[in-house]
Order: sequence, then C-alpha cells, then structure tokens
Amino acid sequence: MIAASARSAAPGRRPWTFYMLGGLFGLYLLFLYGPMIVIYVLSFQGPNGGVTFPMNGVSLIWFRDIFQVGQMGYIPSTFERSVILALLVSALTTAMSVAAGFGFRRRFPGSVLVFYLAVASLVMPSLLIGCGIGLEFRFLGWQTGVFTSALGAQLTWTLPFGMFAMFAIVNRFNRSYDEAASDLGASAWQRLRYVTLPILLPGIIGVAMGAFTLSYDEYARTTLTSGTQNTLPLEIYALISSATSPVLFAIGTLTTVVSFAVIGGTLWVIFRMQRRRASSRPA
Amino acid sequence: MNEARLPAVRSLSVLVMPASRREEHVPTRRAPGWLVSWLQVGPLAAVLLLLFAIPMLLFLTVSFFDYDRVGIYPAFIFDSYQDVFTNPATYEIYVNSLRFAAITCAITLLLGIAIAQFLIFHIRSATTRIVLFLLCAVPFWTSAIIRAIAWIPLLGREGAFNQTLIALRITAHPLSFLLFSNFAVILAYVHQLTLLMIGPIANSMAKIDPALLEAATDAGASRWRLMWDVILPLSKTGIALGLVLVFTQVMGDFFIIQEMSGGQSGSVVSELSTEIQAMQYPPAAAAAMVLVVVVGAFVAGAMRVVDVRKELAS
Amino acid sequence: MGHLPHAAPPRVLPPSVIPYAVELVAVTKLYGATVAVDSISLRIPRASYCCLLGPSGCGKTSTLRMIAGHEDVSDGDILIGGNNITDLPPVRRGTAMMFQSYALFPHLNCLDNVAFSLKMRRVPKAQRYKASREFLTLVHMDSYAERMPGQLSGGQQQRVALARALITRPDVLLLDEPLSALDPFLRVRMRDELKRLQRELGIVFIHVTHSQEEAMALADMMVVMNEGRICQTGTPREVFDRPVSPFIARFIGGHNVLQTPVGPIAVRADRCRLAAAAEEPHVSGRVAAVEYQGALVRVSLVTELGDEVSALLPDTVFYAQPIQPGDPATLVWSLHDTHRLSEA
Repeated sequence: MIAASARSAAPGRRPWTFYMLGGLFGLYLLFLYGPMIVIYVLSFQGPNGGVTFPMNGVSLIWFRDIFQVGQMGYIPSTFERSVILALLVSALTTAMSVAAGFGFRRRFPGSVLVFYLAVASLVMPSLLIGCGIGLEFRFLGWQTGVFTSALGAQLTWTLPFGMFAMFAIVNRFNRSYDEAASDLGASAWQRLRYVTLPILLPGIIGVAMGAFTLSYDEYARTTLTSGTQNTLPLEIYALISSATSPVLFAIGTLTTVVSFAVIGGTLWVIFRMQRRRASSRPA
Repeated sequence: MNEARLPAVRSLSVLVMPASRREEHVPTRRAPGWLVSWLQVGPLAAVLLLLFAIPMLLFLTVSFFDYDRVGIYPAFIFDSYQDVFTNPATYEIYVNSLRFAAITCAITLLLGIAIAQFLIFHIRSATTRIVLFLLCAVPFWTSAIIRAIAWIPLLGREGAFNQTLIALRITAHPLSFLLFSNFAVILAYVHQLTLLMIGPIANSMAKIDPALLEAATDAGASRWRLMWDVILPLSKTGIALGLVLVFTQVMGDFFIIQEMSGGQSGSVVSELSTEIQAMQYPPAAAAAMVLVVVVGAFVAGAMRVVDVRKELAS
Repeated sequence: MGHLPHAAPPRVLPPSVIPYAVELVAVTKLYGATVAVDSISLRIPRASYCCLLGPSGCGKTSTLRMIAGHEDVSDGDILIGGNNITDLPPVRRGTAMMFQSYALFPHLNCLDNVAFSLKMRRVPKAQRYKASREFLTLVHMDSYAERMPGQLSGGQQQRVALARALITRPDVLLLDEPLSALDPFLRVRMRDELKRLQRELGIVFIHVTHSQEEAMALADMMVVMNEGRICQTGTPREVFDRPVSPFIARFIGGHNVLQTPVGPIAVRADRCRLAAAAEEPHVSGRVAAVEYQGALVRVSLVTELGDEVSALLPDTVFYAQPIQPGDPATLVWSLHDTHRLSEA
C-alpha cells in the first residue's frame, strides 16, 4: 500500500492492496469510458437509426450532416467561433496568470484579498456569475456578445485556475537561477527573457492548454453572456432539446478528435522539452 | 579527470573584458517591490473585480429592489428575502441539493482517495503514472453536455447496459431506476466530478516524504494505521480542496440534474434559472445571495484546513 | 628658483598600494529582529584563499551573500579593491558566485551556460563561444560542451559552474559550500583543483564551509564564526595550535578542553599520552571507548569529574600497551603543550 513496501518487495511481488486498488481503478476507467464508447459507436449509426441502440447499420451520414445548415445554424461556423474564443481566452489567461504568478512571489498589500477573490470566482455557481455579468452589461447599456461578455465570463473561470497553476509552477522555480543570472550580469528584462520564462515554459504551455480546454468546453458561464450567437457547447445544448439525432454523437466524436489533437500535440511538445532537460542518467 | 597541466591562465587568448566592464548596463535603482507586484497582479485583479466582484455586488443590490410583472425598481426592501425564507419550496430544494451534494462528496471522496492512493503509492514508474492520469482526463476532452446525453443509450430501458444484463440472464426485465432517477443524477455527478477529487488529493499525497512512511512501517504500523494516522492527515489540504470543488459544482449545477432526473428533481440553481428567464431579478438575486452564503460558509469551513500561506507562492 | 608645485595626490591608489582585496567594516545583517551578522570587520589580503568556517546559523552564508550583493547590508560597508561596493548590484562588484546547488541553467547546454555572462554583454556569438570553450578547457569539461546540465554528475556540474563564474574575470570568487554535495573521494580531488586554480589565477577565493578539515586544507586565512560574530582569524596552523576560546577548540576538533583553577585550557589530543601520573599535568578516569582510525587510535576517557577527554595515539604505541573500555587510565601531557583559553 505504501511506497516503502512497493520498493522493498522483490520486483513482481505486490501487496494484496495493489490488486484491490488496481481492480477498483480498472472499474473506474470502465465507468468513465462507458459513455464515451457509446458516443463513438453511435456516431456511426445507420441512416435510419435513432439515438439509442440497436445500431441500424453503419454509416458516416451523421458526420456529413454536421456540415449541413441545420435548425440552429451552421455547426462549422459555431465551431470556428468556439475555437477563436478559446484561443483568445487562452492567450489572455496565460499572460495575466504568468504575470500574477510572478507578482505573488513577494508579500504585498492586498495579496490575500486577490487570493480570496480568485477562490470565490472559482467556487461561485457559474450560472450566477453569467447572470451577474449579463445584468452588469444591461445596466451599462452594452450588448452582450461572445467576444465581449462571454469572453469576460470565461475569464472569471480560467484566471483562478491559471493563477493557482502558476503558484505551483513558480514555487518549484529555484531562486538560485535568478541570483546566478543577476550575478552574471543580466538585467531584470534579460533575466526574464533568457532565464525565467524559458525555464518555466513547459508549465506555461500547460496553463495555456488548460485555459483553452476550459474555455472550449465552457457552458454555464457562457450561456447567459453570449448574446445572439452561440458557442459550440451552447449550440449542442440547443440541439439536444430540439432534435435528437445521432448528429450529436457525431459532433461529440469530432470534437473529441480536435481536443485530442490540441492536447496531445501540446503534451508532446512539453514532453520533448522536459526530456531535453531531464537527466538521462543518475547524477 | 584529466591530469594534464592547467594552461597558464594569463596566457589565455580569452576575450578580455573591456576596461569599462563595470560601466552601466544595469540601473542601480530598483522599483519598490510592492509596486512591481501590483503591476504584475493588476490585470488579473482588475478582471476579477470588474467581472466577478461587481456583478456579485450588483446581485446584492438588486436583491433589495422592488419588482412587478413589468420591471424592477430601485428600493431597499427585504420582500424578496422574506419570500425566499417563507417559501417551503426553498427548504425542499436546498435539502434536495444538499443531499445530492453530500452523497456525491462522500462517493467521490472515497473513490478519490482510493484512486489517488493507487496512482501515487502503488505505481512505481513515473511514466505509467502520467499515462494513467491522462487516461482519467481524456473523457473530459469531450463536452460535458454530450457526455450527459450519452447516458441515455447506455442506461435506458432499451439501453446497452440493460440489454447486456438481460442477455447474461441476470435480470428478466430492464431496470428502470438506472435513468431519470436520483440514482442517475448521482451517477452522472460522480462520473463528472471524481477527477476534481483525484487531482488535489494526488497532489497532496505526492508531497508526502516516503521516508515518513518507511519510518512508520518500521515502528510497526499496519496498513490501516498507516492510512489513518499518516497518509490521510498529511493529505488534509488535498481532501479539503477536493471537497470544496465537488460541493460547489453540485450546488451550482443546473444541467446534469435536469437531464438525468428527467425534470423530476430541481436544484437551487435550476430554480434560479427559471426566475432569471422570467426576468424576475430581485427574487432571483435574493435566492442567489442565499446560495452564495451557503456555499461561502462551506468553503470558509473547508479553508480552515488549508494552509493558505503554503498554497501562496512564498 | 621657485618651488616645484607639489604633485596632486593620485585620486585612485594603484592596486599594488591597496593592501587588502576585500574589507568588511562593521557589517551587520538583520532579518527582522534577528541579528544574523553582528557588526563584523575583516580584512582579506590579495591573492589569498579565505575560508569562512562555522556551525549552521553562524552567519557565514549571510556574510558571503552580502559580499556578493544578493543580500542587502543592514549596516556597515564592504570594500573590494579599495572601492566601496556596498550599494552596488552584483554585476558591478567584481565578484562572481558559485552557488551551493550550482544553479546551472537547465535549458542551456554547458557552452551556453558558460557563455551566458558574455551574451548579457552582447558579445558576438563567435567570440563568446570561443571564450566559453577556453574556460571549459580550463576545468577539463571541453568535451561536454554540448551536453545539458541534467546529463552531468554533481562534480561535473560544479566544474561547469566554476567556468561560468570565472569567465567574468572576477577579482573575488565566492563559493557557497561547494564541496558539500560531493562524495568524500571527489571532495578531496576537487579541493586540489580549487587550490590550484586559486594559485594560478591569483585572485581571492572566499569559501564558506562547515567542515574544519576542508577549511584547514584549503585556507591561507581561516575565519571562524559563531552566532554572527568572528571568533578567530588566522592561518589554519594558528587556529589549530592556539585556539582562542573553548568554542573554537571544540569546533576545530582534536582538542581536550579542561577547566582548571586558572581558567579553561586546551590540549591537543595527539599531544596526550596514557601513562602513570607524575609531575606532569594529568587527569585520571576510566576508558569509555577505543576507536581505531587506521594510523591513529583514539582513546576516550571519562574523568573523575565527569568530563570527556581523549588521546590520539599512534597505533604502534597503543598496541604496545592496549587497554579496554572500563579500565582506569590517566591522560598525561607536557606543560609546554597546555594552551590557555579565554573565558568565552
């Protein structure tokens, strides 16, 4: 059950708790992936099939349907909107979180307040925040829109995540690097550009990717702040209530593929970076 | 190590620093630390203030307003709050939501501890651990909404699960409680939120010095004792964070409960959203404030366990 | 015939006239209310190897970091080469620091690490790489130029860190416990390297350590610190032969500290013998332990008053007349080896 017994036992001999916990983990994975498999399988549903089993033949017709103009709108354009929004949110979140992460390296007046503000923003019910922002815009006489109020609403969700992630990342950063750099003649800007940011880069990329995913999937805060246009999650929600066809599953499969590509690609980049720097043999 | 003689240093054809090497390249004055920090934290703080704090304050203000079918009017009355507290439906809804929250917290906590324990203490190779973590995270790369509707073909009367049970002759009739029931709601919550528990707890467990565990075993601790007396107390922070995340997600949910209960159950926020749709802002705001207080109380309680200073950088 | 006007006195003294490379004048460091360094003054001659020695928390690392400029001075002045550098940033002091963790930039290979300071001064790539290779050769790491720090052993990382520091042509090299992370065998070899480098370069090395063996082996000038103050300065031989206080005698090791009617005294353990009590100074007691150390055998006694003393005997002498723990024995030494200590 503990690292010690894992280490001290001969390789191959595991305590019984390993099998018990391992079995539990296996069951959990099965449980996690159950609905996923359903989605992937049903997206290939035959032309006459419905949203449940049994499969009435196999076809790609629902994938093709995605590209038809439907009752709610045109899926590819919604998708595009979601992606652009996610990119914007990711860029803004990364920039502001990284800066804030550096800012919190010292104690400064108001630091605790900002900390709790971020915590509050994270735990408050998303719908409330969306509604609140909608109200705020109404009082100011501004129109809500995807790239204004929805963007802002999503930021209230991604910024706390980004900030806390940066805390962990910056904490691991050895102060000696800063001192060595200034010892060797680097100015504050040079330190940032040549030492601090490059060393933290894998973590920062992780934050960017995390923010992208959070935005891309975000529903609750976006729903009351997106104005007249929809992001992909909102579009899907609308489709659920109106049409129930396997198109939804096809969309699910496709978006998963997109997520895989984005996240998989990012992870591969980070992995490559870490391998270059990590020890290839014990010191 | 090469034992060859050191080259005479003075004859090195090394670039000699220009005599003016101590010339200005760096300014000697530095801006005060707190100012730099303010500039760095500023943008983030500004966004949170403008887009979170102010809307919340707006809610607070509006909750005291007067309203009728036509619109809302600035005032300072407690009518909306009175309505909230005297309406028996409020308590019913809260009890319902809190019940769901408690059950979900309990299940996800157990699962979270078990899985985090497995991943951190039983998996020896760091690569395998990362791969397994990723496996847990991959389903979340598909939208939550789509995942929610995937339950229907899986758990419905004619769904795959029931058909399998019947085929294996475990039951004769399809189980109807699997979907559109409290069971289904909890199932969906656990599916969605366990990862939020695994993350912080695994993070806390990973910080435990393995030497502590070895020392405890040497002193005669059984596996149970080790769990209760060493691992769990040292993972307090992770557990508290996990509980906060799961609790607030359940209390703030309006989608899963609606879909999975088939409309039979309501949550605090789903009720809220109805009022919001109807543009009845003051009662919605009052109800929202009450929810904020409830959630805030829980979070404040849980935060006592978390060492804020340690979580902050420095 | 008139007077020749007096030549104006030179504004800057030529280096050969300035006797001390590094001078600390009443330097104090406060962390809040805690006094880490208490108004210390020190003068380090040119081209000397200076070791700051003391137990954990004595202020030696704080002192080093103040000289480096990584720690602000609460009070006092620091002069390098006659110039008051107390308020200058690290890069303008003429110092370079070797960190305990080496702090090699993990994202740059060895060549780029060593060339870093030149890159900060915008030296063109070809020139700085050439210089970098020369310094890597100096520390025998030229074949590792393309490697990343994560691929090097501790000893190798240290040599690269050394090259990186030396390329800035410092007047003073500051070393923060450089040998602590190395295994004992490597430690001794690196000691030789450091000493040799210092002599070749002819600059001041200031080396912080908590190991008296290391300090004695390396230092031209040893500075023993405790609780923020300097207890004794001198050559290793001076400090070992004539410690000033009971603390130093105990810390430096190899001494017996005894209370006498005229005050505390110290006697080197290797100047003690086991013999019958006679006219010479002696203490009696029981043998507590016998420790074989190879060329020497350490016999520790507990005296009648309960003090612990020990004698370091050549092995031949011990085995001529071996004794056991529990046996009564008397420690004897000659009057001329008695060294008076101050009270503190």
